[in-house]
Amino acid sequence: MGKGAKVRGSKGPRVEAPKVRAAACEDTSEAAPRTASLVTASLAPLRGQAVLTGEQLDSFVSNRAGQAGWSAKLMTTPRRFAAAFLLCGAIVVAASARQQTPAEQPPAGEPVPASQTAPRSPRNANYEIDARLDDDAKSIKGRETIRWRNITDQSTSELQLHLYWNAWRDQESTWLRERRMAGLFRPPPADAWSSMDVTALRLRDSSGDMRDATKEMRFIAPDDGNARDTTVMSVPLGRSVAPNQEVEIELEWTARIPRPFARTGWVGDYYFIAQWFPKLGVLESQGWNTHQFHAATEFYSDFGVYDVRLTLPRRFVVGASGQQTARTDNADGTTTHRYQGEDIHDFAWTASPSFVDLSKRFESPTLPPVVIRLLLQSERRGQADRYFAIISATLQRYGEWFGAYPYPNLTVVDPAFQSDSDGMEYPTLVTGRSRWLTPDSSQTPEGTTAHEVGHQWWYGIVATNEFEHAWMDEGINTYATARVLEEAKNPNRVESRYFGGFIPWSFRDIPFTRVDNDRLAGYRLNAESDAPWTPTFQYWPSTAAIISYNKTALWLHTLEQRLGWPTMQKILSIYFERWKFKHPKPADFFDVVREVTGQGHYWFFDEVYRSSNTFDYGVQEFRSERLDDKTFTTTVVVRRYGEATFPVGVVTTFDDGQHVKETWNGQERRAVYVYQRSAKGATVQVDPGHVLLLDVAYTNNSRTLSPRGQQASLKWSLRWMVWLQDLMLTYGFFV
Amino acid sequence: MGSSSRPRATGHGRQGWRDGWTRVLGAPAIVAGVFAMTFLLALPLSIMLRGALSAHLGSSLAAETAATGVNYDWWQEFTAQATDLGTTFSPSIVGFAAVLDNVSGVIDARTPIAPIAAALALYMTGWAFLSGGIIDRYARQRPIRAHGFFAASGGYFFRFLRLAAFAGLVYWWLFAYVHPWLFDHQFDNLTRGLSVERTAFLIRGGFYAVFGALLVATNLVVDYAKVRIVVEDRRSVFGALSASLRFIRHHGRQVFALYALNTLTFLAVLALWALMAPGAGGAGLSMWLGFLIAQLYIGARLALKLQFMASQIALFQANLAHAAYLAAPAPVWPESPAAEAIR
Repeated sequence: MGKGAKVRGSKGPRVEAPKVRAAACEDTSEAAPRTASLVTASLAPLRGQAVLTGEQLDSFVSNRAGQAGWSAKLMTTPRRFAAAFLLCGAIVVAASARQQTPAEQPPAGEPVPASQTAPRSPRNANYEIDARLDDDAKSIKGRETIRWRNITDQSTSELQLHLYWNAWRDQESTWLRERRMAGLFRPPPADAWSSMDVTALRLRDSSGDMRDATKEMRFIAPDDGNARDTTVMSVPLGRSVAPNQEVEIELEWTARIPRPFARTGWVGDYYFIAQWFPKLGVLESQGWNTHQFHAATEFYSDFGVYDVRLTLPRRFVVGASGQQTARTDNADGTTTHRYQGEDIHDFAWTASPSFVDLSKRFESPTLPPVVIRLLLQSERRGQADRYFAIISATLQRYGEWFGAYPYPNLTVVDPAFQSDSDGMEYPTLVTGRSRWLTPDSSQTPEGTTAHEVGHQWWYGIVATNEFEHAWMDEGINTYATARVLEEAKNPNRVESRYFGGFIPWSFRDIPFTRVDNDRLAGYRLNAESDAPWTPTFQYWPSTAAIISYNKTALWLHTLEQRLGWPTMQKILSIYFERWKFKHPKPADFFDVVREVTGQGHYWFFDEVYRSSNTFDYGVQEFRSERLDDKTFTTTVVVRRYGEATFPVGVVTTFDDGQHVKETWNGQERRAVYVYQRSAKGATVQVDPGHVLLLDVAYTNNSRTLSPRGQQASLKWSLRWMVWLQDLMLTYGFFV
Repeated sequence: MGSSSRPRATGHGRQGWRDGWTRVLGAPAIVAGVFAMTFLLALPLSIMLRGALSAHLGSSLAAETAATGVNYDWWQEFTAQATDLGTTFSPSIVGFAAVLDNVSGVIDARTPIAPIAAALALYMTGWAFLSGGIIDRYARQRPIRAHGFFAASGGYFFRFLRLAAFAGLVYWWLFAYVHPWLFDHQFDNLTRGLSVERTAFLIRGGFYAVFGALLVATNLVVDYAKVRIVVEDRRSVFGALSASLRFIRHHGRQVFALYALNTLTFLAVLALWALMAPGAGGAGLSMWLGFLIAQLYIGARLALKLQFMASQIALFQANLAHAAYLAAPAPVWPESPAAEAIR
């Protein structure tokens, strides 16, 4: 695995990252919001291609040079200011000369053909969307045309669409019923609710004319029959659509934007808009797979080409899935941003006048370049280097381990405070997570950002059904993220937050390890809550993530420790390459494991995937008694306390330093080993290498005849005593 | 107070601060006594926690790394199954984080678990009992011996209990009504549309200042009421509170100057502790060294708490009485009629 150079100018924690080079003089962040918006406007059509022509560069420089307030912060004299821009310009021109010809660049305001390569995906669900944000009313009015092709081997006579925002129309939606049932519901303020109403629906009939079908649409609840749930809509087509036939449908809709629910909504002047348009379900051979919106699930949809026009007040900086291909200022003070994305299966966007708009170019000798755009909150501008470093490290490692990131760009949004939009993934657009104050050794923002960028591979490209098999995205990605962070985030320490969560404290003695990022602690608390083979939407909502994320990451890491990383990497890279853009099922993953390892590992998947049993091996007895002058009898009894089984090693160490290693298949309740040796037994360990990371109680896995439990407990109780004395003194204030 | 009195006012504050330290350092037995109380009250719970830790570690090799440094995997495994005291065994016990955790816990109105709450109640009752003797000793500025000290403690105890009941009511009202109103209702309202964390923190900081000021104001009134109860031998708690308010009103500049000086000293002690606080460390000598340093910090905090009391006594006596003046004669032991009869 080639390690790249450090990110230039990176401050704070050491994050190994591949070479990242500025694509332009990209820091628009010194400007006041309006200035930032103007600068973005000049860059907008270009950012997607990450190059500037000479003319555009001149125009760009003169535009920016006019922003006096901005320049005053950076340069003391106009001459230095211009010189700096010329220098940047030279870099950018050099970059553009290497990457793309000037002829490919459109003038601002005109659409750019977004076509990148031959189709990578079936492109059977294609959307043209034209939407307008009403900033005052917090609503969206939109119109979309969907061209859908039946890629199954069955005919269908209906379409099914998700209307996700109806999950927050009232408390009786399935999403909110489940949240309430799991005790996860806090009544929102009155203005928090959202809605999505389809106001017109037209179908192109067999004669080629558009037919009004508005009155024919109806809500269905295929999962729970909840008549109050309006998150899935069925539209009868009035004809049978055979395999490979196409359907065209036009919809008009209005949507009330929620205060944040499930990572979508608005706070202040920040918008993060996801699952925001009527969106097709997935037709499979068994019929439509269009689940209602559930509290514990995310999404599933087919690939296609998205051509989206977003009209917003001009002051907003906009980021979205796909690439920006045009930007048109309208007479009414709004701007229409056109984004196009190919081979993606969803489209999300964000807008705020306060974004600090930065971009850098990821480059690697082994991977295609990617323009990284970072939309940063101004209060966190000091974290830009940390963001870029971890994004690049993730692109590098995932690219080398599993397969190259296939898109030319990636937008990472640093979400606004209280926006509840942090830590989420959409095609070519993800949100990180950070705080205003975050120590260099803290895993914020790196942890979440690496995770969300990593989702591009499993959620974005492989695109499994998250309603039913969330572990195939979340779990595999949690496992891989932990691996990235182990390599790329150093130092990485445990952190606690105080004073309402605003003040962080990083513990220099307590490293945050890969297993911590596999989330063992959370798994231990709810290990038996669900069996992973259960469709995810049927998981208990409050513990669903523990099964999808934690358990999967732990069993994949366990498998890695058993098979070795090269084998594991081969499994995942073959799985990725074979199944990208194809919606694989769990069996497809298991088949790749069998193919690569030559073994089915059914026993393992029976335990970790088809069962909710827990693993717990331990030492029941360990004693060593003198038999005669020359011999000690050492007795070891190891036990399986949990119901799940796994072969484990048992290592007994003797006073003379000798070891005896046994391999126990772990099937029976216990195994007994008796040794007669000249040296007394010293220690015994079950699974000494901690291969089985799913063992919920590892402390009982070892025993020593020279225990230090008293010393350890004394040390820690003394530390705790000081904490208690300090607490007493704190309360002493009141007397 | 006119401008001409300013130098005298701040001078009284500084003088009170110096006098306070003279009185605290002149009675080291009191520092030792309250230190012993703090230590002994924390000890049983620590022993209980040690038992729980020890039982969980057993003869496991996990204890090796837990003894020599941090075994975070074991730590999380322990807390996952812990109840009662074990639930408080978090990384926040390590080093300076303990201070942040505890101050944050109080100002954010976090309710302690039952065994901790019981220990805290006992501790505060202990202080309520000892306060009479402490104030008497500092006010007289001469040794009164143990019998005199405890006689004074007993003599003022019920007055102080009544005062504590009043103070408790005020504090309860502050935490039960004002705190949620500020930090839940108002904070939520003000920050609901906020997308900038820094601004939210400034608002929260402002609320901390307001709530802290209310706590300090209550604390000051109760402190000077205690001083007046002892120095002037006041029987009426409400009379003492009223007199305390009058004193603060008439000598506000001095009172607050002194409080500010003492608070600065407190912050200096915390800063020093932040620099010196040992981390997890190992077992053996370094463990005991770390514990010793920590006890020095606890001792310093206790001395500082006593300094708050002593300097307020000094300030009061400098203004309304004179140094070493007390209305009541030095207490003798035993002094109850029943004891007299026995004699």
